[in-house]
Amino acid sequence: MKAQQRIQRLLSPLLQPFIAIFIGLLTGAIAISIVGAPILETYKELWMGAFGNFYFMTSTFARATPILIIGLGVSLAFRAGVFNLGAEGQMVLGAVSAALAALYVPGPGIVKILSALIAGITVAGLWSLLAGWMETKFKVQLLISTLLLNYVAVLFASFLVSEPFQDRSGSAALAQTPMLEQAAWLPKLFAGMSLHWGFIIGVILAIVMYFIFKLTSVGYEVKMLGLNPYFASYGGVNKTKVLLASMFISGGLAGLAGTVEVLGTQYRFVDGALTGPGFAWTGMMATLLANSHPLGTAVTAIFLAALETGAMGLERNTDVPLEIASVIKSVLILLISAKISFNWWKRMKKGRDKNGMV
Amino acid sequence: MEWFDAALLSSTIRMVAPILLAALGGAICARVGIFNVGLEGLILIGAFSAIVGNYFTGSVFLAVCFAAGVSMIFSLLFGYLSIHLQANAIVVGLGINFLALGLTTFGLRAIFDVKGAFYDKDMTGLPKIDIPLVKDIPFLGEVLSGHSALVYLSFILAILLFFFLYRTVMGFRVLAVGMNKVAANSIGLKTNSLQYLAVLMCGILCGMAGAQLSLGQVTMFTEGMTAGRGFIALVATMLGQSHPIGIIGSSFLFGLMDALSVRLQGFSMPTQFTAMLPYVITIIAMFFLKDRGAASQMSEQQSSR
Repeated sequence: MKAQQRIQRLLSPLLQPFIAIFIGLLTGAIAISIVGAPILETYKELWMGAFGNFYFMTSTFARATPILIIGLGVSLAFRAGVFNLGAEGQMVLGAVSAALAALYVPGPGIVKILSALIAGITVAGLWSLLAGWMETKFKVQLLISTLLLNYVAVLFASFLVSEPFQDRSGSAALAQTPMLEQAAWLPKLFAGMSLHWGFIIGVILAIVMYFIFKLTSVGYEVKMLGLNPYFASYGGVNKTKVLLASMFISGGLAGLAGTVEVLGTQYRFVDGALTGPGFAWTGMMATLLANSHPLGTAVTAIFLAALETGAMGLERNTDVPLEIASVIKSVLILLISAKISFNWWKRMKKGRDKNGMV
Repeated sequence: MEWFDAALLSSTIRMVAPILLAALGGAICARVGIFNVGLEGLILIGAFSAIVGNYFTGSVFLAVCFAAGVSMIFSLLFGYLSIHLQANAIVVGLGINFLALGLTTFGLRAIFDVKGAFYDKDMTGLPKIDIPLVKDIPFLGEVLSGHSALVYLSFILAILLFFFLYRTVMGFRVLAVGMNKVAANSIGLKTNSLQYLAVLMCGILCGMAGAQLSLGQVTMFTEGMTAGRGFIALVATMLGQSHPIGIIGSSFLFGLMDALSVRLQGFSMPTQFTAMLPYVITIIAMFFLKDRGAASQMSEQQSSR
């Protein structure tokens, strides 16, 4: 009995994500059979598209990069109990400022890269801080204000690249900045692959954040505030300060995600190129799936990115539409949100105790 | 081109309808203490199933019923997760939004085999109804007459909801649940059932909002066609302080902004700023509303995990 309990305690945190992923894939299987494709073959294609060879695998990691960095930022905010839904706007504003900094700051490549990073992080952080300031000063609900500021930021960035800073060199007037010069590009990790240094930055950040939460008093204060704000303020945690700081950092990280995407993948800011793939929302999902754990976020970010790149491969090779990935993803998020498996498991156990059967 | 005329008001009323319907749904949920962020997704599902219903049955009435039904099923899912399993309603709502976006684009491919948008010239939209006497009045006639039945229904429903909430026993019980669920439970109210009732009503309303969106003006479905209207409806709920009559006012404001930003595109202003207008105004409005009506959500909002 004792051993059984110990095993249960060891496995119960793992059980929940695994059951959720299982049900998610099951739902995917239903969707696949609706379009009339063979289920196992389709899932094999999905796997091959994500990890089939070295090239696909690095593409998956490249795709995971912005998701991971945004996820880390959001996980910090969620840990502090701050509902920052504004990652999308923060990412886009950061990306456009980084692109402009890399274009117009004079100097060698390294200066351009650094100034782009600084500009991307600070602008996005300040934008995020605006929502935090409105919450603490005027009690404007963070949840709503961050959501609304998304639209404002995305539209403003779209204005910047379609009017004053538009690339007029090409024949077609696309809403994008001119191409950055090659010295300002983030170097690739492997020649010919899309994976760039941003991924390393993301992984290092995840590890650093893990240790900050685990070892430092700052991490403890943030965690305490998230778990029980009243207890935290009783214990002398300055709620306003932590809220503003976590808003700035989570916004700054979202901006960093946009920045590395511009410097490492697109080499210019293209209107809609960051919002289209839904990096911000996927990053949030990664955090929720990982229950705001930094290292867990890294794993879930890669998992979600793999679903996306795998689905692209799926669409290339089969008739199954790409959107199968978003169906699986959203089922996952619903299951995780409900902690369905866990509650179900508890209820079943309780029922057994009461009735002595079932 | 004039920037203000009867046509502007007429298009305002048309744009108010989906926002108003969804905002009423959000209000009922807010009244039982559930903050429904999933309005956007529920409307999207409604819009898509309205087109599906229309395509396969050929009847506009059945299409609207189908839309309301399907949205109701998804709101039931929302209710099950947030009421029964006590998940964070905000996270569930966001999940519903993702699910709606994924399922509708997937459905576009699976059912109609198209990507992006579906349009069929044989489909008929909601018929326009001319009000007999009113349509002959010069200015008013142009503004008020010639809308779809759902537009009129949305205003009627707002008034009905007002009477339901403030003039019936059931309505009072619903309000009691929102004010204090534990207290309401202690006097023997079936709080969970009342919450389910509210969530289901919200689903039906969002389904109708979606039907108005996809069948009202243009008879087509485009990927993510709600374009933030669900969130605007959510804010309209808060601006109207979850009171049906207040919501008519706030929805009208947002509808006017919507219509205005379309209208102003005709002038040389960059379209981004006109499109930004509703959101900026909403943010400014939030300063004046801060802790009324929305107060009950403040505590819930802070607990994310």
